Amino acid sequence: MNLAVEIAGLRFKNPLIAASGTFGYGVEYEDVLDLSRLGGIVSKGLYMEPRDGNPTPRITETPSGLLNAIGLQGIGIRAFVRDVLPRIARYDTVHLVNICGDTVEEYAEVARVCDGAEGIAGIEVNISCPNVKKGGLAFGGDPRMTHEVVAAVRKVTRRPVIPKLSPNVADIAVLARAAEEAGADALSCINTLLGLAVDVETRRPKLAFGTGGLSGPAIRPVAVRMAWQAARAVKIPVIGIGGISSASDALEFLIAGCPAVQIGTANFVDPGVHERILADLATWLEQHGLDDIGAVVGTLEYPGLPGPCGTEVCP
Amino acid sequence: MPANRIVPLVAREGLRGPYWLLTFRHPEIARDARAGQFVMIKAGTSAEPPLRRPFSIMATDPGAETFTLFVKEVGPGSRALGRLAPGEVAQCLGPLGRPFSTPPAGTEALLVAGGYGVAPFRLFAEELKRSGGRGRLFYGGRTSDDLPLLEHLGGTSTPLVPATEDGSVGHHGQVTAPLEEWLDSGAGPARLYACGPEAMLHAVARVAEARGLAAEVSLDPWMGCGIGTCLGCVVKVQNTDETRASYRCACTEGPVFDAARVRWPGEEVSRARRERAGFMA
Repeated sequence: MNLAVEIAGLRFKNPLIAASGTFGYGVEYEDVLDLSRLGGIVSKGLYMEPRDGNPTPRITETPSGLLNAIGLQGIGIRAFVRDVLPRIARYDTVHLVNICGDTVEEYAEVARVCDGAEGIAGIEVNISCPNVKKGGLAFGGDPRMTHEVVAAVRKVTRRPVIPKLSPNVADIAVLARAAEEAGADALSCINTLLGLAVDVETRRPKLAFGTGGLSGPAIRPVAVRMAWQAARAVKIPVIGIGGISSASDALEFLIAGCPAVQIGTANFVDPGVHERILADLATWLEQHGLDDIGAVVGTLEYPGLPGPCGTEVCP
Repeated sequence: MPANRIVPLVAREGLRGPYWLLTFRHPEIARDARAGQFVMIKAGTSAEPPLRRPFSIMATDPGAETFTLFVKEVGPGSRALGRLAPGEVAQCLGPLGRPFSTPPAGTEALLVAGGYGVAPFRLFAEELKRSGGRGRLFYGGRTSDDLPLLEHLGGTSTPLVPATEDGSVGHHGQVTAPLEEWLDSGAGPARLYACGPEAMLHAVARVAEARGLAAEVSLDPWMGCGIGTCLGCVVKVQNTDETRASYRCACTEGPVFDAARVRWPGEEVSRARRERAGFMA
């Protein structure tokens, strides 16, 4: 049974990757599970300097979902490379770093540090965080800025560059193509959906930041649709993200055209989620007489579907 | 540590109001849990509601391999727990978090509970009984309805001092009043331990500060994962060796914190910083 996939020249031993912001820096899970069993790990978003993040409350539960405005609290890329990387690099998995910046220059600067660090396999570019005032979604919502940030990162690193796209846009295909043209090797789709939860007694937002990013099973159909649209719009691989907590959830993305997926909010609910999905994926393949996960990717049968979104008629 | 554990419910007891005592079986949790630690738990295996809920471990019985949670129904997560029948299971991570410290020899442990926050002190009292330590539990609420555990706190060596703001049970007034009376009465060396609403914790912190006593508070912010990765439950803390306060996960660095290091809402600077700046003797 082959569960391994290759994306942007990186070999993932299985298509399940821990999503940024839901798996700490990896070390937090060291005692909980065997990190070498994961296809890959994407670090929490990192700027050049440490960040405090947003005031509290930062999270609230919503129907089948989690609304958060953490605000990219983090230790900074240098502390990550110095203190964390040596600890996690010994686990045989693909280590990706999620990079952030207040400016285009900062993205490039963080990418340069990643490029020089042994053990970092690739760079996920966070141009889609809805919970910061600068950077993040401010870049990911505009195809020209997306192009600029991705090109700046591309210029300073030989490592695979994987922009993480936002769903908070009218047409994700436009952003996907802008990132591809700027030299991206793959895409991560999607980040959280911008949301607002209101405390009806105080008539204030439930989160101190105000709005937040929605994740969890609630967003899965939106995520599958957008990952599918992005995958049809570009030639580079699209990693699917959004509300995956079972093998069947993961398969939806694979069938829709994603060679791999990231598991996010489900890590908070069940630290053993990867292992469970992995076992169930193998069982599913077996039941369907398949011995290679790759045989599933992009097999969506969509009666009456016009050509890829954006190239012909867009649904 | 936090592997997912399937724990069967072995007993449930309804209390006055929206409260339940739920006893689950799990040998390691029953053996390892210390007062102040908690579990992240959700009823059954359903996907909804998505997140687990944190509950202090109220009591353990290592012989019977059980642990007991004091659950108040406030939303869908706690409601689902309250509806579990014996034999049904919950998914559980734990024991998690930093427990209360053991009081130094010869020091009296003054436990201050506000309403629902009494849960960890039943276990604390058991630990005191086992170790031969001295303690006293001050248990306050607005009315007697907020003290549903009153009849369940016997059988330990820790005297119980109830207080209600409406005077329906025990001392008439806030729980810090009998605490201060006790401290004024010439009690020996003491350390304060508090769990309850934030305003009460802050009040206890002020009592401790004014009297130069050590105090530990168990904080209860909204928690997402319980294992330090969602960064949802952070509280602002400044330790003595630090130049500024920063957000710390209540789930992994707490939920018990040194009260003097917590940046309380409305406080511009923490006590640690004032001490360094020489504002205090």
